[in-house]
Amino acid sequence: MLSYKQNPDPSGLHSRRCMNRKKDKGFEICINNINFQRKSVIGYVELTIFPTVMNLNRIKLNSKQCRIYRVRVNDLEAPFIYNDPTLEVCHHESKQRNLNYFSSAYTAAVSAVDPDAGNGELSIKVPSELWKQGDEMKVMKVYIEFSLDQPKGGLHFVVPDVDGSMAERAAHVFSFGNQNSTRFWFPCVDSYSELCTWKLEFTVDASMVAVSCGDLVETVYTHDMRKKTFHYMLPIPTAAPNISLAVGPFEILVDPYMHEVTHFCLPQLLPLLKQTMSYLHEIFEFYEEILTCRYPYSCFKTVFVDEAYVQVSSYASMSIFSTNLLHSGMIIDQTPVTRRCLAQALAQQFFGCFISRMSWSDEWVLKGISGYIYGLYLKKTFGVNEYRHWIKEELDKIVEYELKMGGVLLHPTFSGGKEKDNPTPHLHFSIRHPHTLSWEYYKMFQCKAHLVMRLIENRISMEFMLQVFNKLLSLASTASSQKYQSHMWSQMLVSTSGFLKSISNVSGKDIGPLIKQWVDQSGVVKFFGSFAFNRKRNVLELEIRQDYTSSGTQKYVGPIKVTVQELDGSFNHTLQIEENSLKHDIPCHSKSRRNKKKKIPLMNGEEVDMDLSAMDADSPLLWIRIDPDMSILRKVEFEQADFMWQYQLRFERDVVAQEEAISALEIFPTPASRLALTDILEQDQCFYKVRIQACFCLAKIANSMMSTWTGPPAMKSLFTRMFCCKSCPNIVKTNNFINFQSYFLQKTMPVAMALLRDVQNLCPKEVLNFILDLIKYNDNRKNKFSDNYYRAELIDALTNSLTPAISINNEVRTVDNLNTDVRLILEEITRFLNMEKLLPSYRNTITVSCLRAIRMLQKNGHIPSDPSLFKSYAQYGHFVDVRIAALEAVIDYTRVDRSSSELQWLLDLVQNDPVHYIRHEILSMLAKNPPFTKAADSLLCNEALVDQLWKLMNSGTCHDWRLRCDAVNLYYTLFGLTRPSCLPLPELGLVLNLKEKKAVLNPTIKSEQGPGGPERPGLTVVLAFPTQEEEDIDMDTVHDSQAFIYHHLNMLERPSTPDITLFQLFALIFTGKEPSSVEQAMLSMPGTPMPTLSKESTSSKHGDHHHHHHHHEHKKKKKKHKHKHKHKHKHESKDKDRDSHAFSNSPASGRSIRSPSLSD
Amino acid sequence: MADSVVMGSGSLNSGSRSGSSKTSTSPTDNYQLARRRTLQVVVSSLLTECGFESAEKAAMETLTEMMQSYITEVGRCAKATCEHTARSTPTLSDVVITLVEMGFNVDTLPVYAKRSQRMVITAPPITNASVVPKALIAGQKRTHPTYIPSHFPEFPDPHTYIKTPTFREPVSDYQVVREKAASQRRDVERALTRFMAKTGETESLFKDDISAFPLIAAKPSAIPYLSALLPSELELQTLEETDSSEQDDQTDTENNSSNVSQDDQTDTENNSSNVSQDDQSADKENVVLPPGGVVPTGKANEENMIDNPYLRLVKKHKGRRKKLKFIY
Repeated sequence: MLSYKQNPDPSGLHSRRCMNRKKDKGFEICINNINFQRKSVIGYVELTIFPTVMNLNRIKLNSKQCRIYRVRVNDLEAPFIYNDPTLEVCHHESKQRNLNYFSSAYTAAVSAVDPDAGNGELSIKVPSELWKQGDEMKVMKVYIEFSLDQPKGGLHFVVPDVDGSMAERAAHVFSFGNQNSTRFWFPCVDSYSELCTWKLEFTVDASMVAVSCGDLVETVYTHDMRKKTFHYMLPIPTAAPNISLAVGPFEILVDPYMHEVTHFCLPQLLPLLKQTMSYLHEIFEFYEEILTCRYPYSCFKTVFVDEAYVQVSSYASMSIFSTNLLHSGMIIDQTPVTRRCLAQALAQQFFGCFISRMSWSDEWVLKGISGYIYGLYLKKTFGVNEYRHWIKEELDKIVEYELKMGGVLLHPTFSGGKEKDNPTPHLHFSIRHPHTLSWEYYKMFQCKAHLVMRLIENRISMEFMLQVFNKLLSLASTASSQKYQSHMWSQMLVSTSGFLKSISNVSGKDIGPLIKQWVDQSGVVKFFGSFAFNRKRNVLELEIRQDYTSSGTQKYVGPIKVTVQELDGSFNHTLQIEENSLKHDIPCHSKSRRNKKKKIPLMNGEEVDMDLSAMDADSPLLWIRIDPDMSILRKVEFEQADFMWQYQLRFERDVVAQEEAISALEIFPTPASRLALTDILEQDQCFYKVRIQACFCLAKIANSMMSTWTGPPAMKSLFTRMFCCKSCPNIVKTNNFINFQSYFLQKTMPVAMALLRDVQNLCPKEVLNFILDLIKYNDNRKNKFSDNYYRAELIDALTNSLTPAISINNEVRTVDNLNTDVRLILEEITRFLNMEKLLPSYRNTITVSCLRAIRMLQKNGHIPSDPSLFKSYAQYGHFVDVRIAALEAVIDYTRVDRSSSELQWLLDLVQNDPVHYIRHEILSMLAKNPPFTKAADSLLCNEALVDQLWKLMNSGTCHDWRLRCDAVNLYYTLFGLTRPSCLPLPELGLVLNLKEKKAVLNPTIKSEQGPGGPERPGLTVVLAFPTQEEEDIDMDTVHDSQAFIYHHLNMLERPSTPDITLFQLFALIFTGKEPSSVEQAMLSMPGTPMPTLSKESTSSKHGDHHHHHHHHEHKKKKKKHKHKHKHKHKHESKDKDRDSHAFSNSPASGRSIRSPSLSD
Repeated sequence: MADSVVMGSGSLNSGSRSGSSKTSTSPTDNYQLARRRTLQVVVSSLLTECGFESAEKAAMETLTEMMQSYITEVGRCAKATCEHTARSTPTLSDVVITLVEMGFNVDTLPVYAKRSQRMVITAPPITNASVVPKALIAGQKRTHPTYIPSHFPEFPDPHTYIKTPTFREPVSDYQVVREKAASQRRDVERALTRFMAKTGETESLFKDDISAFPLIAAKPSAIPYLSALLPSELELQTLEETDSSEQDDQTDTENNSSNVSQDDQTDTENNSSNVSQDDQSADKENVVLPPGGVVPTGKANEENMIDNPYLRLVKKHKGRRKKLKFIY
C-alpha cells in the first residue's frame, strides 16, 4: 500500500502557459496494501496545492493505469474525468498505416498530457464551493484514492513460481520507467520541474522491506503484527519522476564505511553484495572531493532487483540496479563493469536527482554533467589510457550514429510549435518529448552530451568547470533548505541558459560559438586529410577537406590542432579552418638527416632510438595527427604512408593514436605492418586494449598476406611463448589470472587467431587443433579467479573458425556427412553446454557462447537449421543473458529462413513476456537484424504483419514508452515512413482539398510525401468510402502530413485526440450526421483555413463528440482504454454547462462521485 | 636392570621346570614365566629354611608377588638414583642408597648372606639366546664419528636416512600428468553428461539421429539468477584451496612465468587486490541483518553503535495513525 504526498512546486508554474494550474507543494503518498499474489496495489495520495492563478477551477494531474476511486479537494468530493490519448494513438480501425501520420499523432498525444505544458490525463474539477477560496489563493488539498491491478508499466512485480511464502519465494516489486513515468503507479504531476517535499508510507508484509526515497523515519507494526508500515520523509524538494519504491524480502547490508548508506539485495546474494559494494565509498569520496560538496541527501540506498528495466536507474537518495551486476570476488570481467554502473548511478544522484531540469530541452545539461564527472572517475580509477580509450570509443559511436541516422540535437528549441520548424526532419520520430525518442537516439544523446561537456572543459579548464558544478550544487542546496514560499526552489532546476550563465560568470569566457556549434546544432564534422612534403621550402602542405553536405554532418570553422612528429621532435600547430582554405602550410623544424644516429624526442619528452630505414629519405616527417585531443566531434580520414602509421603505432604514446594507427594499418598488409603489430602485441607496457585490437588487425593482415605469409600462423608462437609451458609448448600453463592484462590477452588471442584463413578460405588445421588443445588442457584448479569468461571465449574462437560447409546439393544435413573438424567442434560444444547444466558458470557465459556457436553451425550449413533449441532457451525462467542470446539466434533464423511463424512467435513474446527488458531487446534486435527491409520485397511483408505492428505501436505498447518507440523503430526499419508497399490500394479513394474546396479521386496512394513537404499548399485528405457501419466515413489516409501538422499544432494547446477532431470534421462535411449541437461550430469550417481554426470550436466539437461516441460504446462496457477519448473537456469556462454535462455523462466520473472507497 | 639384579642374587636351579615352558609362544612370555618360576623356587627354599614343610598355593603366589614387587622397586629406584646423577648404569652405591631409602638395614645384609643354613640354588641353565633375525643390511653402515662414544648405538642402515636418487625425467612427467589430468577430466565429464542426457530429457541438433550429440534439455528455473550469479560449490572449494596455498602460488608465478611483469600494473589490477583486502576487512565490519530486520540479541550492542534506520527495532503500533510530527 502506498501513499504519497506531493507538495507541488509553485515555481514551475510561472513558466507555464497560463492555464488553470495548481502548484503543489507537498505530496503525501500512502500505499496500504501490496498484494503479490494478485499483483495489485492500493493507496492514496494527498497533494497540497498553492494556486498561483485566480479562479483555479480545474486541476490536471498525470495518472496512467491507476483506477481512481475518489477524489476530494479540501474534503469535498470532486468530480473528475480521465482521458489518456496515448492509450491508443490513432483511433478507429482506419486504413491509415503511414508512419509520418503516426509520429505526429503520437507527438500530439504525448503533448496533450505533458505536465510541462500544464496538461494531464486526470482532470479534476474543483468544487464550486472552493472557487472563492481559490481566488484568495488559499492552499488546497487534493486527496485521491487509487489502486493498481496487474500494472503493465511503472511497477514491476517479480513473483517466482515456487512454493513457500512470498518472502521465501523472493517475490519483490519495484518501480521503473523511461524518463518521467511515475504517473504509472500513482497520480502526480509527473514532471521533472515540479518539485515538492514528500511523505511516503508503505505498509508491507512483516517479512518484507520497503525501500523508498528519503529518510526512513520509523517502522511500525500494524495491529495484528503481520505487517509493517515504513514511514519515509523526503524534506528535499524533489520531482515526482525521481520517486521510486522497491519492496521485497531484501537482505540488508549497512555499508561498513558509510553507515548512512544501506544496500539491499535479494535473499542468498548477501556475499555477492558485500563484495560488490566494497568499493562504493571510494566513488563517494571521489565525487564529494571534486565537487567540493557533500552528497546532498542524508542517506543513500542501493537496491538490486531481478528483471530490472535498465541496469541502473537513479532516484532521489536511492538507486535501483539489476541484480545481475552482483559478482563474487572470483569474477574479473564483471568487476569493472559493475563499478562503472555504480559510478554512473552516483553521478546522477547529484545531477539528475538532486538537481533536476527546467524542461526537456535542458536534459542535455544533466546528462552531460553526470556523464562528464563519471568520466573523471573513470580517469582516476582506471587510468588515463582507459579514459582516453573510452572517449575515443564514445566519439566513434556518436560519429557513426550521426552519419548513419542523422544528427543528434542536444538542445532543441521549438519556436512557436510549428512543425515546419521541426529541428530534426531527418528523424522518423519527434524529439519534442522524451517519450517519443528512440532508445538508441537517447543513448547517443547522452553520449554526445558528456562529450560536449568535455569540449567545454577543454575551453574553460577543468578547474572552472568544477567551480561551475559546485556553484550549481551550492545554490541548490541552499534553496533546498528553504520553504516553498520563499520561491527559491527553482534554483534546484538547471536550465541551459542558467548553466551557460554560470560558465560565463565563473570563467569569464564566451563559449557561445561552441554551444552554437554542438548544442544548438546537430551533426558532426567529417574531415579528410592528406599532405605533401615540399622539400624545397621544407614545408608540410596539409590539405584538410570537409564533407558537410551528407546527412548528420555540419561545417566546422575554427581552430584545429595538428601534431607533427618530426625527426627533431614533436610540434603542435593550431590551424584555422576557414570557409575556403583547404591547404595549410606548416613549416618543418628539421631537415631530413636520417644518417645521424640521434635519439628522436617524443611529445612526452621521452627520447627513443628508432630504426629510420623505412622512412622517406627526403622527408623529416614521422607521422602527423589531426585533432589529437579530440576537441572536435569529428571523424578524420587521414592519408599517410604505411611506414608513418607504423611509426605512429610503435612510438606514439597516446593510446588513441595507437588505435588509429592499428585501424589504418588494416589496409597495408605488409611484413612491416606485421612486425609492428607483433611488437606491440609483445610489449607489456602497452595498454592492453591496444594489444587486443592489434590481435584482430594482425589476423586481418595475415589473411590478406596469405600467399606470402611465412612461419607459423599469426600469434601462435607468441601465444605459446606467453602462455604455454616451456617444456611442452603444446600445453597451456595452468590458469593463473593474477595479471589482468595477460588474462585479457590470453582470452582474446585465440578468438583472433580463429579468424585466420588459408588458401581454401578455411581455418588452418593447425589453428583449430591449437584451440582444441587449449580447451583440452585448460586447468583452473589452482586459479583464484573463475575461468568462465575464458572458456566462453574459447568457444567463441571455435565459432570464429567456422566457414560455410561445402554442400554438393541442398540435401538435409545429417550426422553422417558431418565434416570431421566440425564433429570435434560440435563435441566440445555439446560437452560444454551439458556441463553448464550441472555446474553453471557465472552469468551462464558458456551457455551464451554455445548458443551462438550452434547458430553459426546452422547458418553455415553444417547442421540442420532449426530454431526449436533456441526457443527453449528463450523461455521465461532462463537467465536473461541466455534468453537474449537465444532470441538473437531466433531472430537471425527468422531473417535467413524468412520464417513467418518464428516472427509471429517473437511478436507474441513482445506482447506477453513478463520481462520488460526482453520485450525491448526483441524489438531492438529485430530492428538491427530485420527479417526484411523497406528496400527489398519479402514474403513476410504482408498486410497482417503491418496491422499487427501497427496495433502494437498504436495501442499494444501504451504501458511502456520505450517499447512503443522500439515498435516505431521496427516499423520504420521494415516499412519506412510512408504507407507500406504491401498494402493494397484503397479501393476507392477521394482526395479532398480543403483549401480549394474540391475533391478528386485519389490516383496514387503510394506517392506519399515524406515529412519534409511543408511547401505544399492547402490541406489534402484522402477518404475512402468503404461499406462501413455507423461511423460511415472512415478516414483512410492522410495524404499530406501537413494537414496533421496544423491540427496537431492546434492541439498542442489543449489536450485532445487528434483524429477525433479530424474525423468530426469530415463527418460534418460529408454526412452531416454529427449531432446538431456541433453543427454550428462546424459549419464555419470549410471556409476557414485550417490554421485559424480556433480553439473554441475544436474543443466544443470534442464535447459533443463524446456523446456521440458514448452512445455506441456504452454497450461494450468500459474497458479501461475505451474511456480515453470520451471524456474531453475544454478549458474555456464559457461552456460550463456543457462541461458539467460531460462530466456527469462519462462513466468514469459517474463512478467517481459516490463510489465506495476501497481503501481502509 | 632390576631383573638382572634378581637373577644375580637368587641363582637357583630350576632346570627341571624349564622344560615345560615350551608351550608359551613368544620369547618374552617365555622369559617371564622362567623368571617367575625362579622366584618361586627362591621363595620355596626360603620357606624351607624357615622350617615350613608345605605351603598353600595361594600363599606361595602372594609371597612370590611380594618378592617380585620388592625387587622391582629396588631396581626402579636404583635406576632413578643413578640417572639423577647423570649416569646410565646403576652402581652398587645406588642400590645401597635405594635399600636405605626403602628402610632396609644394609648392615645386616652381609651377615644374612653368610648365614650357615642357607640353601644354594643352582643357576638356571642359559637358554639359547633367541635368534634375532638379522635385518637386511643394505649398504655400508656408517661408523661413529670421533665425538660419539662407541657405546652409542650404531647408525641404522643408510637406506633409512639417505635420499635414494631416482632416474625419471620430470619433464616428460609433467606432460604426462597434464595429459592424464585432461583426459581424465574429459572422460568424467563426458560420462557424466552422457548419463544425464540418457536419464533425462534431451534436445537434439539432428533430426535424423537423435542420439548423436544429445543436449540436456534446458529447464527454466523459478529463480534463474541464483545459479547464474552464485559461485558453485566446486568453485568455492577451489577458492578455499587456492587461498590457503596462495603464498606458494604467487612465488610459483614469479618463478615460472617470467613474462609477467609485476611493475606494470593496470588500475584494474590494483583494484582487484584492493578488493580482496577490502573483502576481508569488510567481512569483519559488515553488519548483516535477517530480512525481518530484527536485531539478534547477541550482537545487539555492537550493532547499536551503527545508527542506521533499517537496523532499528520495529515499533509497536500505538493507537490510531498518530499524526507524524517528527519532522526534522
